[in-house]
Amino acid sequence: MAAIELTDVSKAYRGQAQRVLSTTLKSFFTRDIWRRRAAAPPAAQKWALQNVSLRIERGSTVGIIGANGAGKSTLLKLISRILQPDAGRLVVNGHVAALIELGAGFHPELTGRENILINAVIMGLSRQQVSERMPAIVAFAGIGEAIDDPVRTYSSGMYARLGFAVAMHVDPDILLIDEILSVGDAAFTRKCQVALDSFKRQNRAIVVVSHSLETVASFCDRAIWMEHGRVRQRGPVDAVIAAYSEASLAA
Amino acid sequence: MRRALSALFRHRTLAEILVGRELKARYRGTWLGFLWSFANPLLTLSIYVLVFRVYIRIDIEHYPAFVLCGLLPWLSFSGGVAEGMGSLINNGGIIRKVYLPTEVFPFVAVSSNIIHFLFSLPVLVGIMIASHLHFTAHTLLLPVLLLLQFAFTYGVALFLASMAVQFRDLMHVVPNLLLIWFYLTPIFYASNMVPERLRLLVWLNPLSLLIEGYRCIFFEHRFPPGRHLAACAVASFFCLAVGTWVFARRRDMYAELV
Repeated sequence: MAAIELTDVSKAYRGQAQRVLSTTLKSFFTRDIWRRRAAAPPAAQKWALQNVSLRIERGSTVGIIGANGAGKSTLLKLISRILQPDAGRLVVNGHVAALIELGAGFHPELTGRENILINAVIMGLSRQQVSERMPAIVAFAGIGEAIDDPVRTYSSGMYARLGFAVAMHVDPDILLIDEILSVGDAAFTRKCQVALDSFKRQNRAIVVVSHSLETVASFCDRAIWMEHGRVRQRGPVDAVIAAYSEASLAA
Repeated sequence: MRRALSALFRHRTLAEILVGRELKARYRGTWLGFLWSFANPLLTLSIYVLVFRVYIRIDIEHYPAFVLCGLLPWLSFSGGVAEGMGSLINNGGIIRKVYLPTEVFPFVAVSSNIIHFLFSLPVLVGIMIASHLHFTAHTLLLPVLLLLQFAFTYGVALFLASMAVQFRDLMHVVPNLLLIWFYLTPIFYASNMVPERLRLLVWLNPLSLLIEGYRCIFFEHRFPPGRHLAACAVASFFCLAVGTWVFARRRDMYAELV
């Protein structure tokens, strides 16, 4: 059983399109409330993802690469259920922890410790479980006394450490990481590497989105190259990265 | 509706933590701190007493206590609706990036305003004592009224929060509607002062029923008429059902539009 399986998944961004669609209250009520699902996306729709099919197995670490706007983050948001696909089938087997964007879900006025509680609870732990794991999380984050300061005083590296520390301790079957690994310092990157390796050995799946090919090369064993909302190429990490760099240089 | 409520129940720890944070954050960094819970309604109250009792000479006995019985629940309702409506938009940062049950945000706005109402009750006690009034066992009906108020407010807040994501104009329209609603609700006047032929305007308003209910148990030392309570319950749970239904139908678009 694959950890993640997408079959012909498409996603159009509603954004402004939707707002223009509902010009009158009447059309809004008849279409959007009663039959919103049945409404066909207009032709001019901008597709963030188009007919994407892929399988991500347990125990694998997959990097997603591609230019800005290629649909990498949209893919992660679909897997983490923040967004719903407009077409196609998406099956996710297991508990997902997503680190999408630095400091997402952190409240600037609260301390690191308070944010750990909120974040871990959002990711599905009980209060009891959080207090049991708190020392381990704080130790993994390794930001010392700062753990009791409001997180608005944190550097981006500290944000990343905190977010990563929580995600590693909520027992996810699938870990999604968007562009976070690259902000940590060498010591932390090393720590992540070790943690992710042990993750992989426990037969869990890891999906990493990054612009840093180095990061992808060092953390992942497979890669997916996205272009204009479609999968351009996938396979062993070295081959995909080589093809991608070649194409980028040519362009 | 059952499914929506069960999602909330599963995430009750999150709701609990967020309500606690909301209450703590409200007056963080202010000089008077928690005392604002008392000072705010007292300031509003003194304006009403000055204008309506002293200037306009409304003839109601123990006017400050009378007004306060309606004012405190109203502030809780309008606060819950206004904050609840903006709660998805204001938490857009997290909704776009973290998967979580979005109804937790209107829920937190409404519950923290209900709890805040409870915190401000000492003001009512103080004013009642100052007017040589006392509380009776009728006060024990308070939890029932609170439940109705919660259901009604939460239903309205869910509906508006869901709509405001798409129609931002609501953020400007609703405060004005709330002001009109305030004047149409018997808060600083009694429902029997409304001319007979307009009386329907009062009783079609679920908040009138609620506020009359609070006034009955605190001020008039009697239970509100059963048919009023029943009408209020029907209206409140109907609102809750509509609110949760609309909110759930439109759930998929929040992460894209906030």
